[in-house]
Amino acid sequence: MSDYSTLMLTAGVILSLIGIIAFAVYYVIADRKAKLSQMAREQGYQSTSQFYRDFVANRKRRVSWNIFVDNDARSLGLRYLLTSILFFFIAGTFGLGMRLSLTYSVPQTFFTFLTPDAYNILLTEHATLMIYMWAVGSAVGLAYYLLPSHLNLTRDGRGGYTSIAYWIWLSGAILFLLSRSSFRWYLYPPLSLQLSQNGGGLYAWMGILGMIFIFIGLLITAIVVVQIILFDRSKDIKLGKMSLFSWSILDTSLMMIVSIPPILVGLSMLMYDYYDPIFFTAASHNVLMFTILFWWWGHPIVYIAVLPFFGLVYEIIPRFTGTSIYSYRSGVLGLGLLTILSMTVFGHHLLNSGLGVAWDIFFETTSFIVVIPSAITVFNWIATFWQAEKIRLTTPMLFVLNGIIDFIIGGITGVMQIYQPVNQLVHGTYWVTAHFHFIFMGITVGITMAAVYALFPLITGGKTYNVILARVHFYLTAIGSMLMSTAWAIGGFLGMPRAVAGYFSWFQAYQDASIIGGVIIGIGQLIFLVNFAVSWLKEPSTTDDSILEHPVAIPGVEA
Amino acid sequence: MMSKGRIETIFIASVIAILAVFAVINYAAIMETKGSIAQDSTPVSSSNSEVIHVVGHQWAWTFIYPNGTITENSLVVSVNTPITLVVNSSDVIHDLYIPQMDIQSYAVPGQNNTVSFTPTSTGQFFFECVEYCGEFHYEMRGYLTVVS
Repeated sequence: MSDYSTLMLTAGVILSLIGIIAFAVYYVIADRKAKLSQMAREQGYQSTSQFYRDFVANRKRRVSWNIFVDNDARSLGLRYLLTSILFFFIAGTFGLGMRLSLTYSVPQTFFTFLTPDAYNILLTEHATLMIYMWAVGSAVGLAYYLLPSHLNLTRDGRGGYTSIAYWIWLSGAILFLLSRSSFRWYLYPPLSLQLSQNGGGLYAWMGILGMIFIFIGLLITAIVVVQIILFDRSKDIKLGKMSLFSWSILDTSLMMIVSIPPILVGLSMLMYDYYDPIFFTAASHNVLMFTILFWWWGHPIVYIAVLPFFGLVYEIIPRFTGTSIYSYRSGVLGLGLLTILSMTVFGHHLLNSGLGVAWDIFFETTSFIVVIPSAITVFNWIATFWQAEKIRLTTPMLFVLNGIIDFIIGGITGVMQIYQPVNQLVHGTYWVTAHFHFIFMGITVGITMAAVYALFPLITGGKTYNVILARVHFYLTAIGSMLMSTAWAIGGFLGMPRAVAGYFSWFQAYQDASIIGGVIIGIGQLIFLVNFAVSWLKEPSTTDDSILEHPVAIPGVEA
Repeated sequence: MMSKGRIETIFIASVIAILAVFAVINYAAIMETKGSIAQDSTPVSSSNSEVIHVVGHQWAWTFIYPNGTITENSLVVSVNTPITLVVNSSDVIHDLYIPQMDIQSYAVPGQNNTVSFTPTSTGQFFFECVEYCGEFHYEMRGYLTVVS
C-alpha cells in the first residue's frame, strides 16, 4: 500500500470511531434532555431554559456523572473544570518526562524511552495541552460555574451549543494526543509539513486537524459566553455593576472571538498544503506569513490564559482581607486595556526573523505600552492589601499572594526581553521559558488551585479539604516553580537554548536545578490528588455554600 | 490623606514615565546597532567587511567563506574584522544565535537575512540553533573561534 492509502485508511478508521462515540454521546444526551423536558412540562414550565435555571443551575451542583450529560451552566462548568484538571495532570506528566530526559547533556540510552524523538513529542503535547486544555479549559469551567450566581441569570438555555463545543474541543485534544506530532505548539510550516518521524511527525496532519477541532470548540464557547453575559444576566445588574470576574471573562471571550479566526484560516491553509503545497512553501510564498497568522492568535492566547485568573484574584482578595477592592474603576480599565493592547503586540515574537527594523520598533513600543494595564492591575491588588486591617492567610490566599509575586517577577523578565539588545541575547533561550512559567505557574495554576480550594465545599456537597495537605501542596508548588524558573532564567541568560533534547555540558547545573524543581512540583500535585481523594471519602461537615459564590459589593455602586 | 484617584494617577504617570524612558533608550539602541539586527537584504560585498554565507539545514550549519572554503558547525573569523553573515535555510526555519556576540537571525527558506558583528577579543565562543527544527535540533550547534 502506498503512503497515501495508509493515511486515508487510518483517517477513515479514526473518523468512524469518532462518529460512533459522538453518536453514543448524542444518544445519552438526547435521552437525558427528553427526561428533563418531561419534568419541565409536568411542573408547568413553558420554556425548558427557565426550568433549567430554577431546578438545575440554581441547585448546588456537585461532581457526579450527570455533569457529562446535563447541559445547564453549572454542569458545564464542572465538566470543563474536571476535564482541564485531567489534562493538567496528563500534560504535567509530559513536562516531568521532558525534565527527566534532560538529566544528561547528551541523550542517554539509560532512559531508552526518552529519546530526542520522544522529547520533541512531549514538548509539543505539553505546551499545546497545557494552554488549550488546562489554561483555557479551567477558565471556561470557572466562568460557567460562577457566572450564574454572579450575574443572577434569568435563563439558562444556551447549554446545548456549549455542550457540542465541549465535545468538539475534547475530541480535538484526543486527536492531537494520538497524532504524536513533533512540531511544537507554534507549528511553523516547512517543519509541520514534513510528514516524517524526524520532522513534524508521521501523523502531523492529524495534529493539525485536532488543533482545528480545538479552536472550533473554543470559538463556539467564547461566543456563547459573550451571549450569556450580554443577554442572559439579570436586568438589575448593569454592565458597570458586574463583578470584576465577569468583566475578565467578557474581555477574554471577546479576545478569543477576535483572534481565533486568523489561526483557523492559517491551519486550514496548512491542512490544504499537505495535499497541494501552495501556501506556505518557500517556492511560492514567504513561509513567515504563517508565523504572522499564528502569532496574531498566539500572543492574545497568553493573555487569554491569565486574564480570567486576574478576575478571580479580584474576587478572592476581598474575601480574606475583609475589605473591598481598592478601585473597581481601574480594575475594569486595566482588564479592558489589556484586552485591546494585547492585540497589538504579537510581532515581538518575530523580532529577529528579518521582518525589518520598522517592525521591531513598532512592536517593541507597543510591548512597552501593554505593561501599563498590567501595572494598574498589580497596583490595585497591592493597594487592596494596603487597606486591609487583617489578611487571613488561608490556602487560597497563599496561592494568590504567591501568584502576585510570581506575576511581578514574570512581568519584569518579560518586559526586559522586548528591549532589542536583550532580545537578541535571550530570544529562543530558557529565559523566555522562565518568563512564562513564572506567570503560568503563579497565576494560571496557582489561581485555579486557589479557586478549587475555595469552591471545594460547594462542588463536593459540604466536604472540607485537609488543610495541612493543602498547605504542603501550596509550598511544594511555590518552591518548586520558583526553583525551576529561576534556574531557567539564569541559564537562559547565559545562552542555554530551549526546546533542545541535548545541551552543552556547562549548562548541567541549571538543568539539574530545574529538574529538581520540576520533581518538587510533581510531588506537590500528587499531594493535591491525595487530598482530593481523602477529603472525598469524608462525610460532609460544613455548609455547601462557597465564599466565591456571591459577588462582593462593588464600592461606589449601590447593589 | 490623598484621594484614591490622585494616588492612582501618580502611580500610572510614574509607570508611563519609566516605560517612556525605556522606549526611547530602546529606539536609540536600535538606531545605534542597526547592523546587528537581522534584516531581509543581501549586502554588496565591501572591502572592509567579510561576507560569510550561512546555510542552515537539518541538522547542521554550513558556512561558506568569501574564498570558497566551506565548513560545518564551525566558524573561524579574525579579531577586529567586521563580519557580515548572510543567513539562509535550505529546508525549514532555523535561528542562528551567537550569545557572546549578541546577534541572532532566523534562517528562513527563500530569504537572505543579513546580520553583522565585529569580534573584539580572541577566544572560543559558541553558537546554537534556537528555533526548533526537527528531531536532531539540539545538534545544530558549534564553536565560533576568533583568531588574531
